[in-house]
Amino acid sequence: MAAGIRTKAMYSLRSARWVGSALPCYSRPCASSAVAANPVATQQSRDAGVNEKILHAPLTQPDYFCLSELFTLKDLFEARVHMGHKKGCRHRLMEPYLFGCRLGVDIIDLEQTAEHLQRALNFTAHVAYRGGLVLFVSRQRQSSHLVERTAHDCGEYAHTRYWQGGLLTNAPIQYGAGVRLPDLIVFLSTLNNVFQTHVAVRDAAKMNIPTVGIVDSNCNPSLITYPVPGNDDTPVAMELYCWLFKMAINRAKDKRKQMELLKGI
Amino acid sequence: MAGSRLEKFGTVFTRVRDLMRSGVLQQTEKPVWFDVYAAFPPLREPVYVRPVRIVRMDAKDTVPEILYKEDEIRAKFFELYGSGPKVFDLTNTKFVSTCQRFVDKYSALESKGDVAPELLMEETGKALFAEGVMLRRKGGLAVEAKTHSSLFGMKLADMLAEQQVDTAIETSASEEHQQTVNNDRSTAS
Repeated sequence: MAAGIRTKAMYSLRSARWVGSALPCYSRPCASSAVAANPVATQQSRDAGVNEKILHAPLTQPDYFCLSELFTLKDLFEARVHMGHKKGCRHRLMEPYLFGCRLGVDIIDLEQTAEHLQRALNFTAHVAYRGGLVLFVSRQRQSSHLVERTAHDCGEYAHTRYWQGGLLTNAPIQYGAGVRLPDLIVFLSTLNNVFQTHVAVRDAAKMNIPTVGIVDSNCNPSLITYPVPGNDDTPVAMELYCWLFKMAINRAKDKRKQMELLKGI
Repeated sequence: MAGSRLEKFGTVFTRVRDLMRSGVLQQTEKPVWFDVYAAFPPLREPVYVRPVRIVRMDAKDTVPEILYKEDEIRAKFFELYGSGPKVFDLTNTKFVSTCQRFVDKYSALESKGDVAPELLMEETGKALFAEGVMLRRKGGLAVEAKTHSSLFGMKLADMLAEQQVDTAIETSASEEHQQTVNNDRSTAS
């Protein structure tokens, strides 16, 4: 059943744009006497060395892409990220992330949210830096256009329509052999239209794909790799999240281009 | 590419790591995110948590209620004056409502200490009136309400007693009238 246009792109294998990613990660030992006589080996080892620098150097620093300057606690508060649902809708696994309950409305602890958001953005940026494929998923109709526009702006993919059962688990048969699955799935809302956990959360865990997700006070955060407790209903909050993910991914990709030019590949 | 579809056992990372350890996945097939996860793990391991079937009724609520000292003052204000004359503007983060002004004035007077606690509410009302804030009481139609209740409060026995008293007064009045008439007759003849 084709419900609307599918903006999701599950395409054939991306050709390795960078030589570095095609090479194995080990460095071939080159004999000291035979350096001149074995130019191919030295070239490959040099490439491998450069590759190591490009890929390994960012992992040594805690905030390589300076993502902590993108948001403050006050920004989160003004975007109403702390507003949860009512006490009756609370999921028991979200209780550690709640600050308290004000007149029956759950208030999410923004200090914890800031920490989780920092980690989630950092992970997303590093995956994008390494050429990973990011898929934005959200079944909220209100923000579906915004999510698709965000994905378009950062050169990644989005799926905000009906999720067919075998999209991830049955991809080779549904889309043909040699399909590349996403390396990271970002959920801007982990619930579907009937307030149940989105099927993609379980499917991503099945296919060993890490997930980043905005979990509200009525969501289940257990299967999401990098959960971010926060409000997923207010338009201001959604705009903030979309902007943050877009900035993180764009920064990472620009940094990658810069590193490649510097190291001279 | 080989994989493990057991999402309920371990995490994504542990499954991929173990597949590589056992040789099912080659180093060349290592996922893009693997090193990133190893370098920056999440705060909590994303292990599947089984849903609890039996929810105990006496389970304590671990999420605390957020209550402030000023909430008592706010409760009294809302009881007395309703929601206040000014409409709440939620879009403005620096908005100060009538209730908030009342609370601030109340706390200021309380900290000064020269007003008795029972009279604080009235004093705050007066102070705000002096500043130009018109506060109208919620129970403003007190007089009408009283007559209504008095009508419903009357009992039949009381009504009967009143009627008897009225008839006694009438008979005594008529007797007096007759006597005066008689007196007049007597004097006339």
